[in-house]
This record gives sequence, structure tokens and C-alpha cells, in this order.
Amino acid sequence: MISARNLVKDYGTGRVLNGVSLSVEKGEVAVVIGPSGCGKSTLLRCLNGLEMFQEGEVQVDELRLEGGIPDADSAVLLALRRRLGMVFQQFNLFPHMSTLDNVTAGPRFALGRPRADAEKEARALLARVGLADFTAARPEQLSGGQQQRVAIARALAMHPAAILFDEPTSALDPRMANEVLRVMADLARSGQTMVVVTHAMGFARRVAQTVHVMFAGQVIECGPPAQVFDRAGDERVRAFLAEAEGA
Amino acid sequence: MRRRWPWAVGLLVGVLLTCLVVLWYRQAPPKASTDVFRWGADEKGGAPYVYLGDNDELTGFEVDLANELARRLGMRSEFVSKSWENLPEDLRRGDIDVILNGYEWSPARERRMASTIPYYNATVRLMVPAEPPKGKEAIDSWDALRQRNKDGSKKRVAVQRGALTETYMRREFSNDVDILAFKEGTDNAMRLVRNGVADATVQDDLTAGYYAEHGFQDLRFPDADREVPGRGYYVNFVRPQDTALRDRINDALRKMTEDGTLKAIYEKQGIWSKRQEGLAKLAEHWPPENVEPERTLLDETELLIKSAGVTVVLAVLSFPVALLCGLFIGLGRLYGPRFLALPLTAYVEVIRGTPILLQFYVIYYLLPYAGITLSGFAAGLFGLALNYSAYEAENARAGLLAVPKGQMEAALALGMSRWTALRHVIIPQALRIVVPPVTNDFISLFKDTSICSVVAVTELTGGYEQLRIAEPDHILRLAALTTILYLLMSYPLSLVARRLEKRAVKVTV
Repeated sequence: MISARNLVKDYGTGRVLNGVSLSVEKGEVAVVIGPSGCGKSTLLRCLNGLEMFQEGEVQVDELRLEGGIPDADSAVLLALRRRLGMVFQQFNLFPHMSTLDNVTAGPRFALGRPRADAEKEARALLARVGLADFTAARPEQLSGGQQQRVAIARALAMHPAAILFDEPTSALDPRMANEVLRVMADLARSGQTMVVVTHAMGFARRVAQTVHVMFAGQVIECGPPAQVFDRAGDERVRAFLAEAEGA
Repeated sequence: MRRRWPWAVGLLVGVLLTCLVVLWYRQAPPKASTDVFRWGADEKGGAPYVYLGDNDELTGFEVDLANELARRLGMRSEFVSKSWENLPEDLRRGDIDVILNGYEWSPARERRMASTIPYYNATVRLMVPAEPPKGKEAIDSWDALRQRNKDGSKKRVAVQRGALTETYMRREFSNDVDILAFKEGTDNAMRLVRNGVADATVQDDLTAGYYAEHGFQDLRFPDADREVPGRGYYVNFVRPQDTALRDRINDALRKMTEDGTLKAIYEKQGIWSKRQEGLAKLAEHWPPENVEPERTLLDETELLIKSAGVTVVLAVLSFPVALLCGLFIGLGRLYGPRFLALPLTAYVEVIRGTPILLQFYVIYYLLPYAGITLSGFAAGLFGLALNYSAYEAENARAGLLAVPKGQMEAALALGMSRWTALRHVIIPQALRIVVPPVTNDFISLFKDTSICSVVAVTELTGGYEQLRIAEPDHILRLAALTTILYLLMSYPLSLVARRLEKRAVKVTV
């Protein structure tokens, strides 16, 4: 359903993505791990066109994104983003809106759905992430974990075919991180397609169907968690996992 | 408590020191010099009074007059260049001893200064374009001024602020004519007639006669033979206590009239007229009796409050325009295509880098050459909006840049177009950020409306100046009233601004 083929991305100084490929099936939970600076977040942001890349292509169902600088408001880009939700490390909730308005922002402003409709659904989504009583709250009145759950509800409101999670728990303390991971595990159980960039190895082990390990702009190991975590062939992967799980 | 003492002591010492310095340098009441004839005039006022002629040499009949007076008084003549409107203040301060610059005698001026006998009897002349502009009928007489234009508007007549021409027009035509009073340069008024901003100008006969032959041959004088009750007696003014100097000047003037020197000076400049022959008789009973009632505090307050209303209207109409333009300029610079961003940047830099006065001059005096003729009020609104749009564009840019990058990314990731993201996510946050600088600018614009007096809009400062020239001895209470009115208007604004800031901060933090 989502596939990235031979993506190459150069920043001014170096190559962030070095011909990376990745494919995710419908209903699959794919987790991308790897050391800092390996390009895993960049890969994720290329999937929904927040970052451009020079070579290769991204395909989401019938929508194709090719290398080069895309037109900022091209129809393909808009359609692609409406199909892929995204959850950020820093939540990026809209501080001038209530929780409810944050969740309805996508349907109302991107899709032009009527407010009453969007709100009815938003309340249900907020209940699903355990925040039914916080519809009127402003983001600054919520804890980090609560904010991230609102962000997940905001992504869900667009009925995305898949959701991209960019280190969703890295800015949270362990207790709040667990709140968020529980919600993500629930989503996974319900069959939601997800691509998760994370350092939470426990989550990867328990929830992922496929684990991709990135190193220097390439995926160097890929397979079910049991295989990657316990029988990785690549020496660099074993070293990274030993360090990550030891920590 | 003990910690506060050094502050209090420091403050007290500071205040005392300042008082001492002020007292030390305070001058004794000025007294006229006995060997230097220090006469004040404004060489920018225009020909044929005092002006810079060929080779930038000081020229004009008043220069000849001053030099001749000084010679007869056995003094050295010293010209002191001053701004015309402030001459009474300069006299009071002691910077000059004599005002000699087309100052018309008036009861109000006599109350504050001592006048000599008149040296010139001036009257007013109507000047209109030789060929009426397209779509307008010719003005053939003074009475024709009262007729409305075809579009129902009053005829616009440019005059010199504070001079005989303004007094006359306000007295005789104030209800029927739109009077545009300008600060400096009589030739500016004529230029406005030439390019169609004003329908006519009223000048004193000396100025009119001079410029009709020097550079403004395309204007003509309807009703030139008709004697109208616009009469001005130009006199010298000295400080009330300098009566000795006044008497000596009077003696000299009388002798110059008798022996024909005065006539010779005027004939040299081509400004001698029959009317001047009556001066000697007039001088026998000088100054005339005070017939004109003094303006009351109530009259003055009324005029100032009306002018304050104009200030409010100017500010309230121009600022939203500036804000909106500024927002779009800021957006264009940050998010627009390159071909748009570059000219917008240039626009901001040019507007911010040039004086607002120059911009007003261009809008009011030069745009008509490009076929765009704006009334003073329209030019004022346009000028203020133009000037402030550049500053608001910078505010908007700063505000937009201050919104974290993740906000735009989150909005885009939801599938919003860039414009939708700006409208619903970025701009609302940016606006909250810029509330403090923007309200600050609004208060600042409020005071900058005073610049509109250069395009003959009588806002508060303009009203103050008009009254100050007419009633020089009321200057203190006029200044106090004006200050109070400005404060009354800007203080509530500050309060509103503070409340807005508090609300904005609550939302963003």
C-alpha cells in the first residue's frame, strides 16, 4: 500500500537518504528503528511530502510522488497527505484552538466538512483516546501524554489509510509514554496501518509486524521482530540493538 | 526599605541639579540691541518679500526696507532666518528684535506685541487657471467661487496659513468654499491650482503680481479691478517693552514716506500701487482701535475638539488599511513566489527609508502630474496607510516567523493547502504575537496624523497652529488644551492595548 523506492536525499553537506526502500502493506504495523541521524525521521517525512527528495519515488496506492521540488499545493501532494495522517514528536497541536477544534481542524478546513458533523465524530475520537472530558481544554492545559493523544485523534479524524508516527514518545516521560503507546497498540489491534519511527524497543517487539533497521540512510535489516531482534545477520544491527535495549 | 534610599536621594539630587542648571542659564528678559538691527523673516516664504534670488543672494523689498531702516537708525542690519509661523515666539525669546516679513496687523497680534506704523497696504487677488481644466467651468469672478462644482463639491481654494489671505477667506467665504491653508511656499499653492488639486488660490497682490510674471504665466486674475474688503496692513512688530525701538522705526518710516525712499524701494520691485499713498494718513492714528473681539476659551476649545475629531477619523480609517496591506505584504514576502517577494521587499525598504513628509509631498503635489488628483483628506488617508503599511508588513513578517515551524507542518500534514494553513493556523497565531507592536504603532500613527496639516487637513495640530497664529497671546492655553486632547485620545488607546496584550499572552503561552 505504501512503498518507497530508492529514495535519495542530499542536504547541503551530506546524504541523508542513500537509496532507501520500504514497503508497508494494508493493516501492517511497520516500525523503523536505528541510531540518531540514520535518516529514519527524514524517510517518514518524505512519505507524506513534508520533505522533498532528489531521486526515487514514493507510491501510496495510486498516488505517486517523484523526486525533485514538487509544487507546494499540487493535487497529488494534498491527496497524499489526506490519506496519510501524521503524529509528531513535539505534538504540534494548534495552541489557539481547543482540543475539539484541533481534532476537527482537518475535516473542517482541509475537507470542508460542516462543523456539527466534524464535532460529533471528534468527540467520539477523543473518547477513544481517553480524553472525553477535555474537549474544551486548550493544549497548554494538557500534559504531554494527553497532548499526544489529542494529536492522534486529530490524525484519525481524517480517516487516514495509514498514520505516520515520528518518534511519538521521545518528548515524554515513561509514564506518559506508556499512555500513548497503549493508544497506539489499540489502534494496531483495530487494523490501522501504521509506520512508526521510534526508540521504544518494547513497543516494536510487541506490536510491530515488520521492523526496519536503518543505518546511514539505508535499511540494512528488515523482518518480523523476533527475527530482527534475536537473529539479526548484520553486525551493526546487533551492536545497535544491544546498546538500545541495554539502556 | 533601606535599599530604596539611594534611589530617592539620587532622584532628588538630579532634580535639584537640573533646576540649578535651568536657573543658571535662564536669560534675563530680552532687550533690543541698540547697534544691531536684528530682523527676523523667512526666506522660504517667497518672493517678493524676502527670498533667495540669483546666486542665492538675499533679495526682496523687505530686505531693502530693513537695510534702509537700519541705516537711518545708525545700526548694522542683521537678517535672522526663522520660520514664518514662529516669528512671534522668536521675538519673545529674544532671538530677533524686529519682525519684518509681511506680518499683517491684527488686534490679537497687537495684544502680544507692539506694532510700528504700516509700511505696506496689501489686498487680495484671486488666481485661477487661464484655461479651465476639463470638466470644470471657468471662474470669472469672486462670486463664482461660491458656486458649487458640477459634482456638488465646494470650490477648493488654496491660501497661505495665518496670512491675510486665510483671514480674508475665512471671514468672507468660510461657508461656501473649501479653504486649503498651507504652511509654506506661496508658490506651492499656485502649483496646486496648475495641477488641478485646488480650483483657485487667493494671494496678496504683491505675491500674485510677482509670480504672474515669474513662472506662473498660465494663471490669470479674474475680477482684478474690483476692490474687495480683504485688506492687510503690513507692520513691523517689536516686543511690547521695546517702545523706544518702535518709535525710532516709526520716525524712520515717516521720513522714508516723505522723501520718497519707500516709493523708490517699491517701484524697484514693481509693487508700488496707488493704495500706498494712503499710508501716511493711516499712520496718523496708529494702532487702530481694537474692534475685533478676542477669541474665548470656549471658541478655541470648540475648534480644537472638532480638529481632534478629524484626527480620530484619519487614524481610525487609515490604520486598518495599513494593517491589512501590511499583512498581505508580509505574507507575500515569506510565502509568495520570488517575483512577488522581491518587489515587496523593495516596497518596504523604500517606504521605511524615506521621510513621511516626502511621501506626502509626492502624493499630494506630484501624483497630479500622473493624472491622479487627490483631495487633502484622501491624500492624508492614503499617505498614512501607505507609510504604516510598510511598518505593519514588518510586524506581520516578524509575527509569522515567530510561529513555530511545526505548526505549518502539522497543518500541511492534515492535507490543508498552504493558504488554508496560513488562514486557519498561522495567521491567527501570528496576530496574537504582534498585538503589542501593532497597538504601539496605532498610537504612534495617531500622533503622526499631524503630518496631514501639510496637505491642508485641519486635524488637531493643524487646528492648534491655526489658532496660535491668529491669537499669539493665547499660545500657552492653546498648547495645554491640545496636549490634553491628545492625551485624552491616546490614553484610552493605551489601556485597550494593555488589555489586548494580556489576552493575547494568555492564549499563546
